[in-house]
Amino acid sequence: MIQLFHVSKFYDRCTALDDISFRIDKGECVILTGPSGAGKTTLLKMVFGAELPDAGQILVQNRNIARLRGGAIPYLRRTMGIVLQNFQLLPKKTVYENVVLPLIIQGVKRREARKRVMDVLKAVSMDHKRTIRTGVLSAGEQQRICIARAIVNSPILLLADEPTGNLDAELAVEIVELFKRIYAQGTTILLATHNQRVVEQMNGRVVHLQAGQVVSDEGATS
Amino acid sequence: MRLLYLLREAMTNLHANRGNVMIGIVTTAFTLVCFGVFLLLYLNIKNLTGTLQGDIEVIVYLDPEASEQVVSLVQKRLRTEPAAVALTFVSKEQALREFSEQFPEESLLLEGMEGNPLPASLVVNLSPRFLDTESLGAFAERVKQLPGVTHVAYSQDWVDTLALVVSYFELGAVVIGTILAVATVTIIANTIRLSLHTRKEEIEILRLIGATGAFIAIPYVIEGMILGAVGGGLSLALLKGVFEFFRLELNASGWFVGMEHILPVFPREVSFLLVMTGLLLGCGSSVLSVFGLMKVRN
Repeated sequence: MIQLFHVSKFYDRCTALDDISFRIDKGECVILTGPSGAGKTTLLKMVFGAELPDAGQILVQNRNIARLRGGAIPYLRRTMGIVLQNFQLLPKKTVYENVVLPLIIQGVKRREARKRVMDVLKAVSMDHKRTIRTGVLSAGEQQRICIARAIVNSPILLLADEPTGNLDAELAVEIVELFKRIYAQGTTILLATHNQRVVEQMNGRVVHLQAGQVVSDEGATS
Repeated sequence: MRLLYLLREAMTNLHANRGNVMIGIVTTAFTLVCFGVFLLLYLNIKNLTGTLQGDIEVIVYLDPEASEQVVSLVQKRLRTEPAAVALTFVSKEQALREFSEQFPEESLLLEGMEGNPLPASLVVNLSPRFLDTESLGAFAERVKQLPGVTHVAYSQDWVDTLALVVSYFELGAVVIGTILAVATVTIIANTIRLSLHTRKEEIEILRLIGATGAFIAIPYVIEGMILGAVGGGLSLALLKGVFEFFRLELNASGWFVGMEHILPVFPREVSFLLVMTGLLLGCGSSVLSVFGLMKVRN
């Protein structure tokens, strides 16, 4: 699913990632962990094509990110769901309007889109708030909507960057449970977090990053 | 569903930035009014020149002493000229009658004179092929040599001047049109850029979930087109209003009785052109503003 070969990335002579190589197979749940500045976010950004490696190669679903044309990036992203710490929702639009957006982009028919949105909203227990603007929702609710939007097009890969970063411990547990349910349905998950409780709760393969290098890879299948 | 979404987004953009959009519409309308005034002036002068060129006549004044035989010879000679398409004889009496009708106040001057001082003449209508200065000059020169002809008059000079004015207007239209088009594009492009800036976060989110540059850009292009078309429509309303007022005033003045065909015209094509120009300028400026969206990788 994802292969990294000697990947390095530098920002103004500072090393963000230093000669990283590992692979993630289909159906795996990989927790990318490490302190702030370890390079977790940079690595995730490379996987969804927002950043390019300065050295090495990244293959995502057998597509070389470095060689992908700019116009192909949106189509790559349509195959994955992305959940970020700061939710990235449209505050003036309703819950339904936010979640249906990836389906509109992909040109899914209205009736089919409606069914899929209602299904995912039920899955994240937010169907009763579908007509409410996301700007007035609590942080936990917003993150659940964000997850609903990420999985509404049934992605084969779910990327999450500190999905519990803005949530209290109780809400974080709820969100992690949601990720576990999505993983159980066969979705490949790559989740970046520095929260040790989340790492323990997810119970997946843990890749530990420090100063841009992989310092441990526990539970790797190969 | 996509088309509906894109249209709704365009309308939301327009509503959210209504202050800037209003400024954009008014300035677009203003520049298009300037362009429209210029275009109308140009078209009307061109129309007037064409009408007057069609009316050019050469008047051949005859010697009052000339015998009927000489007059008949002149007529015969003129009929053989390839440039002459029509020939009318105006007798001394007819000339006096026409003068009195056209200039009733001045006709009093003639009353004190003995007899009829106006000469008989031959009015020659020329073929359009011979309306250039050179052909007309050569024709007049030939006719002047005929016995019994005292003077040959024609009004080519000022028609030529009008034609020159038209050609200057054509040049001016290109220059002013370009300047105004650049101004309009800048104004609309800035309005769209402002709209893009206020929705920067939204654009990032759309990119994140797989929206293509075109999908993000289309609502802004629609926004620019609406802005331009409304600006064009407003300029049309303003121009038409002022034009009709001006036309009514001219009619009421009575100066053009019997010459209505030379009154100003507002061709239907101008209305279409103004709205279409607004729309195309709006489209062009927004495409210019959102062009960056198509190529940024983030």
